[in-house]
Amino acid sequence: MNKQEQINKLVEAALDSVDDAQRAEAKPYLFTRIQARMSKENATVWEKMGWFITRPAVAFTGICMIVLINAAVIFYNKTGTPVTNTELAVQNTTDEFSYTVSGIYDIENTQP
Amino acid sequence: MNQPELIVQLQQGDGSAFKKLVDEWQDMVYNTALGIVQNADDADDITQEVFIQVYRSVSSFKGDSKFSTWLYRITLGKALDHEKKKKRKKRFGFVQGLFGADGAEQAHAVEFEHPGVQLEKKERAGELFSALKQLPDNQRIAFTLHKLEGQSYQQVAEIMNTTLYAVESLMSRAKTNLRKELKKYYENSIAE
Repeated sequence: MNKQEQINKLVEAALDSVDDAQRAEAKPYLFTRIQARMSKENATVWEKMGWFITRPAVAFTGICMIVLINAAVIFYNKTGTPVTNTELAVQNTTDEFSYTVSGIYDIENTQP
Repeated sequence: MNQPELIVQLQQGDGSAFKKLVDEWQDMVYNTALGIVQNADDADDITQEVFIQVYRSVSSFKGDSKFSTWLYRITLGKALDHEKKKKRKKRFGFVQGLFGADGAEQAHAVEFEHPGVQLEKKERAGELFSALKQLPDNQRIAFTLHKLEGQSYQQVAEIMNTTLYAVESLMSRAKTNLRKELKKYYENSIAE
């Protein structure tokens, strides 16, 4: 048998290969999967949001973000501008012995 | 329960009628989808979508054609839409690849094994299915309905909403194109 005859034989064999094929069977529990899919599609916005938030990756990311933000706030408050004791004392004395009297008297009374 | 009664009950929203319908037609829908998309998981997905659409739009089924004809049309529509989406994703993946993205470009698709084909014919059938993918949609549909679903040319014409003559022409062209593709494949594989 030459090459061309061999090829022709293979081609015809391929064309006839599905002649006695049985119908493929659907996977088991198809109806259950259909029902699940339909109820998922009918879910309310809140239910969909709930499903999304409870996904492990989303929940884990959310918790990490909250922890990081809290840590950043605490860290920022701790490392605010330092005020020395001396500066505080001077400020307190100035406030206590302040001679500045502000009232309508001073504003209107321009005489020395 | 006969077919018309089942449809009427389904139109009235009877859940048990829907289950009976799924049980009766699931293999037909799955096998048809499988013949087009050549992937078991995708065919399962499409089968679910078909029945969901049937449930939602059964009220629009007027009985002008047979219920099986209507079901075949929905199945073929969903299967072809799925193929178009897959082609679009492949094109996008190719473009991503040009820009250095890690797109998965398969050099040669894995040969599909139809579970209903006899063991001794599986290899040839796999080669046939690869060649089938190269055909235009109409020829592919006609071939799948006739060869895999065992529909006569007349039934195929009804499903495709065309004439018997058109189906005969499609089948003839399909076989010619398949011979061409298979010849090319075997010439290359024997030469190697």
